[in-house]
Order: sequence, then C-alpha cells, then structure tokens
Amino acid sequence: MPHLDAAYNLARWLCRSPADAEDIVQDAMLRAFRAFDGFRGGDAKPWLLAIVRNCWRNAGADRKRRAQIALPQDEDGGLVSADPDPEAVAMEASQSRKLDEVIALLPNEFREVLVLREMEDMSYREIAEITGAPIGTVMSRLARARTMLREKWTARELV
Amino acid sequence: MNCPELLRTQAFLDGELTGDAAREAERHIAACDECRAFSANIAELSDALRANVTSHRAPQALHSRIGALLDKENAPVDFIPRWRRREFWSGALSGVAASALAAAITVFALLPPSAETLAQSVADAHTNALMSGKIIQVASSSHHTVKPWFAGKVEVSPPVADFAQQGFPLIGGRVDKVAGSRAAVVVYNHGRHEIDLFVWPDKGAQLPGESTRHGYHAIFWKNGDLNFAAVCDMEGPELHKFVNLVRTEQD
Repeated sequence: MPHLDAAYNLARWLCRSPADAEDIVQDAMLRAFRAFDGFRGGDAKPWLLAIVRNCWRNAGADRKRRAQIALPQDEDGGLVSADPDPEAVAMEASQSRKLDEVIALLPNEFREVLVLREMEDMSYREIAEITGAPIGTVMSRLARARTMLREKWTARELV
Repeated sequence: MNCPELLRTQAFLDGELTGDAAREAERHIAACDECRAFSANIAELSDALRANVTSHRAPQALHSRIGALLDKENAPVDFIPRWRRREFWSGALSGVAASALAAAITVFALLPPSAETLAQSVADAHTNALMSGKIIQVASSSHHTVKPWFAGKVEVSPPVADFAQQGFPLIGGRVDKVAGSRAAVVVYNHGRHEIDLFVWPDKGAQLPGESTRHGYHAIFWKNGDLNFAAVCDMEGPELHKFVNLVRTEQD
C-alpha cells in the first residue's frame, strides 16, 4: 500500500499511542479508498496525510488525554545502526530517545509541521494543504517549532 | 526572533526558494548575525532529527488488516473503477499481504511524482552520493565500460558519451533512485565539480525544468521515453553547456 508508512508515522507522532495510531490509519485508509475518485492526481502522499490528520482531529479524544503523554516505545524498530560498538549504539539510542521525548512535548500545531517537514519532507505548500493553515502560518509555526525544540533540547542536554 | 527576514532565511534553508530569491536570501544570511546563527541552529537540529528521531513504520499486522478491509470494501462495487483507482489500490485489493510490497513498488512507479518531489529527490540523491563518497560504482572513462555496466541493473539504457575534449570527462556511473524510480546515473567531471546525469523511464511526470536546492542546480528534460536530470553545484551557464552537449549527442 503506497504511503502507509508515512501515514502511520504521522499518526504515531500525532497521537503517541500505537493503538490509537493504528485505528486512525485504518480509518484514514478506508476513507481515502472511498474518496479516491475525488483525488485530482499529482502526489498522493500529501492527500493521504491530510486525511490522516482529519481522522485524528475527528477522533479528538486523544487531545483530552494530552496530559498523560505516552512516550515513544522501543518495540517498533528502534534505530538500526551499522556501528558494532555497543556503547556507541546505546549512546545513539539515548540520543534518539531524548529528541523523541522533546518532540512529544511540543504542542500539536507545532509538532505536526515539524514532523511533516523534517520527517516526511513535505514542502510548505504541501504542509499548508495537509494542515489547512495558510503558508505564512506554516512558516511561522515551523520557525517557532524549531526554536522551541532547540531550546528544550539544549535544556535537557544540560540536565 | 527579531530579524524581519528570518522566515525568508528559513524558506531558503528548506529549499523553498529558487533563482534570484535564493541568491538574495543567501546574501542576507551572510550579512545578518541573527540569520546566520538561526541557519546554523536549524542545520544542526535538522541533522540531529534525521539521524536520531524514530520514523515509525506501519506494523505488518496493520498492513494485512487494512488489506482485508479494503478487499471487503471493494466486493459489492459492480461498476468498473477508473484505472487510477485500480492501480493505486491494487496492493491492498489483492488480499494477500505478501503481494502488497510488490504492488506498492508498481504503484509508486505508476503515479507520477510532482515536479517539487523530483527537484528535491535528485538534489537529495546527488548530495547523499557526494557525502557518502559513493558517487561512482563503476569507474571508467570509457563509454564501452560504463554503458554495458547498467544492463540488468536498471530498466533503462542511458546514452553514455565522453565529453573530455569539451572539458566534461566521463568518470563513471552508479545506480540510484529518483522519487522512488530506479535511475541510471552517469557521472562526469568538470574541474573540481562532479556532475550527475540521472536517467530514468518517463512515467508522464511533469518535470520542473530547472531547480535549485541547497545550492545544487538541476536541469530536467525529456527525450523519447526517458527523463533526464543533470545535477551539479556549478553555476547555471556551465551546467547549461553540459546539458547542451548531452542533448546534441542525443539528437
């Protein structure tokens, strides 16, 4: 299935619980399938991600549970490193864990633009399409997201 | 955040600007302390994110479950769906999880990527090859060596010629990807610059013409059933000269 990994990744970063993410992706794929005749061609990825985001918003319940953040779990893959040195591997894993945690702490509207830009390589125009925000807003949110992330990340490194 | 140009600086770093706008942004960054620091921060952060942050992959069970659901969904439909619909979902509709992967690859090739995706994709492939030091998989200045090397590795047989006399010697080739399609890359030299000539099958994608991403210039064109992109960090005129050589050879 095309772009299923991208859909799942976005859902995971939006809801943070693997079970919720699976429900949302399943819902989104069904909707995408039913609505496919409305797809005007071009790149299907932003179109599908927009549907994922809508499903997540409709599910809504997740945001009420926002206070209890389930941290990203290790079981789905982790990072594969070619480095055989276990210490280096452990360092890398903890580095990744740290950044994952800091991203999870960002407010939704900032987290989503960051994930779409940095992980899914979406352009500003595509992010605007997916999030339904004007391009100017996308740009300022992205700048805020990066600044916040950087501050939080630096603060953690010092701890 | 005080500098009024900060968002433009960011757009430049994200590869959103081309031509004059990009050059102007670049000049501003050189002159503005705040934007320079911001650039360094973004670059560092972006590297850290790409290297360290978990990119979640859909579990196999989810693949299968959705496949089964879409199968059911399709059952009562008695009209003939449009070809796009069939092709796009063929992976899911087969109902066999194992075939989903093969179908996903086919589907990827069937849906033409956007010009934006192509521009980013060739620039990424070029920089990745440069950074990993694996720009050449077959090193040779002879087209008799380079051309046959591609046979069986990619579905295209790229035109390969040596332009040493014109200042663009052939140095080798490699196999790479452009927006999910396997591409033959013929590699040339010009002074201290390396030029990648990407060649991949035309699937009806709209090509960007010319693009600039992170300081790398790319020129796209079509010839017959092949798509071409020449990518390099050289200024426009030199790259155009190279493209003209290749195109003259083709005609």
